[in-house]
Amino acid sequence: MKHPSEEHDLIRWIDGEMNEDERVTFEARLKQDPALATEVQKMSALSASLRAHMPAEMRVPHADYFNTQIEVRITQMALDEARAKQSASGWSAVLQLLSKPWFALAGATALAVVGFLLLNPEIGVASESMILSSYTPNTRVQARTYHDAGADATVLMLDGLDAVPADRKIAGINIQRTEMEPELASTTMFDGQGTAVLMISHDALGNPMISPR
Amino acid sequence: MKLFLSALSLIFCAAQACAQDQDSPPPIISAAKHATDGHVWGALIFATNDASQLTGAKEEAHSDLPNLHQRLAKVFPFKHFEILGQHRQDIFREYESWVVPSRDLFMKIDSKGPADKDGVNMHLQVWHKHQVLVKSDAVLRKDSPLFIGGPPWKEGRLIFVLFLERR
Amino acid sequence: MPASASTDPGEVSDLDLVKRSQAGDTRAFDVLVTRYRGRIYAMTYHLIQNETEAWDLAQEAFIKAWRALPTFKHDAGFYTWLYRIAHNVSYDWLRKKRIQGDGEFDDERTEHRVAVGAEATPKGDLAPDTALRNAELGQRIQEAIAKLSPEHRQVIVLREVEGLAYEEIAALIPCSLGTVMSRLFYARKKLQEQLHDVYETSL
Repeated sequence: MKHPSEEHDLIRWIDGEMNEDERVTFEARLKQDPALATEVQKMSALSASLRAHMPAEMRVPHADYFNTQIEVRITQMALDEARAKQSASGWSAVLQLLSKPWFALAGATALAVVGFLLLNPEIGVASESMILSSYTPNTRVQARTYHDAGADATVLMLDGLDAVPADRKIAGINIQRTEMEPELASTTMFDGQGTAVLMISHDALGNPMISPR
Repeated sequence: MKLFLSALSLIFCAAQACAQDQDSPPPIISAAKHATDGHVWGALIFATNDASQLTGAKEEAHSDLPNLHQRLAKVFPFKHFEILGQHRQDIFREYESWVVPSRDLFMKIDSKGPADKDGVNMHLQVWHKHQVLVKSDAVLRKDSPLFIGGPPWKEGRLIFVLFLERR
Repeated sequence: MPASASTDPGEVSDLDLVKRSQAGDTRAFDVLVTRYRGRIYAMTYHLIQNETEAWDLAQEAFIKAWRALPTFKHDAGFYTWLYRIAHNVSYDWLRKKRIQGDGEFDDERTEHRVAVGAEATPKGDLAPDTALRNAELGQRIQEAIAKLSPEHRQVIVLREVEGLAYEEIAALIPCSLGTVMSRLFYARKKLQEQLHDVYETSL
């Protein structure tokens, strides 16, 4: 194992963090120590590759939706605050909020949320469930949402999803109780008889993992 | 698998401790009571026009959700609706909650706190195995189920129903 | 510290947009989101290595920034301030993930076994592939980064992607200069070990 100061010298030279005197001394050492020179060369090559393959700016997937959803959430926060004030001072807080010029210029989605809330006679206190926003990572999939009065249900329709292969057996399970273990970040699920049926946790990428498979 | 076995062993130890009725320290799992923002019932439903495709599952709808099949038929153009699996789940306030009526299609819920009219603000993700199909911000309210039209399967369609329980 | 994006002449300055945002103008804030979303997303993506989570965290950073706007002082650059928020949001997420996870970050288990300067990695059976294409190398680098611990990933992103000086990294984390240097050294050693077939044949 190298001494920590040697490790530090090595990366300080690579990163250009040495002053002139330190740099000259270190470069003299490099000439006399081929093993160190190789080490430095390898690490510099690695650094160059990392910089080349890790761009500081990336295209944001669904960029428009990214902005819109931020606006929706900001609008919601404003409405929540206004509602809280409203309980104390009546309607003026909400009206004051909506009368601000910038609010009228807010994005279409944000306005749709506000519009929905305003059209409802009791602002924002519709008694049915609501889908406020949706995002489908697969661009071929469209999410539509509406309230179906006949069914007395809120619908989130996902169109364009790939079909599940017909020969795939889809077995349902009946879970009546769960136990969560925060330290393991896992949830164990039990059926009506109290038998542990499965456990759900995460893989290294944060995706859900069901055990046993 | 390792996690599953360790959890199972914890459960086993807890059961043993109870059976022996000793003054042993409380079992780890049952000791944790987590704050909740409500309770949901989630179900995976298969809709089809071809009765021969039904799987024979005998699950029944939640008692607070009357006429579920008729209501589904108003939204999805199918004759037969079969509940493949179901799951009753606490919505944890500080932790993620999973609703897993099947290993194929399941849902993650993150509570965003109570909403007015006895509702719950939540962030939902519907997963198909390792893929997230949709992410939504939603308000779920009692007596108002959410029908999610999922992927086609056989000649029909898979549907996810989520319902906020009254209790 | 990362500088703000260069603005075209005639483009509204960050300062103007921030002032309007502070007055409640969501449209002005939307312009700031558009201006910086690519850089903030790149940072969360490199730290998290998962597109969906990085997207959510980048969004969370902007929402947190909106809420914190009343406390923003104009003596600091907006991007520097925003970057700090996004960094903290992502790093907190990574740390929570580690608390919840089960040894998912490989280098936490192996860090102490890396012998500095030693030819610790015997060449594998793979034939030297000097023509390894860029895309493939990019993929290999991503996989290697994903295996780093949060601390190591953090210094690599701050140094290699954002080009921060050691002192700036130490102030942001926060930790001592010595810690920054040690972490950078070991993070690079770890990456080198994972990518040894690429670099040993290319030298």
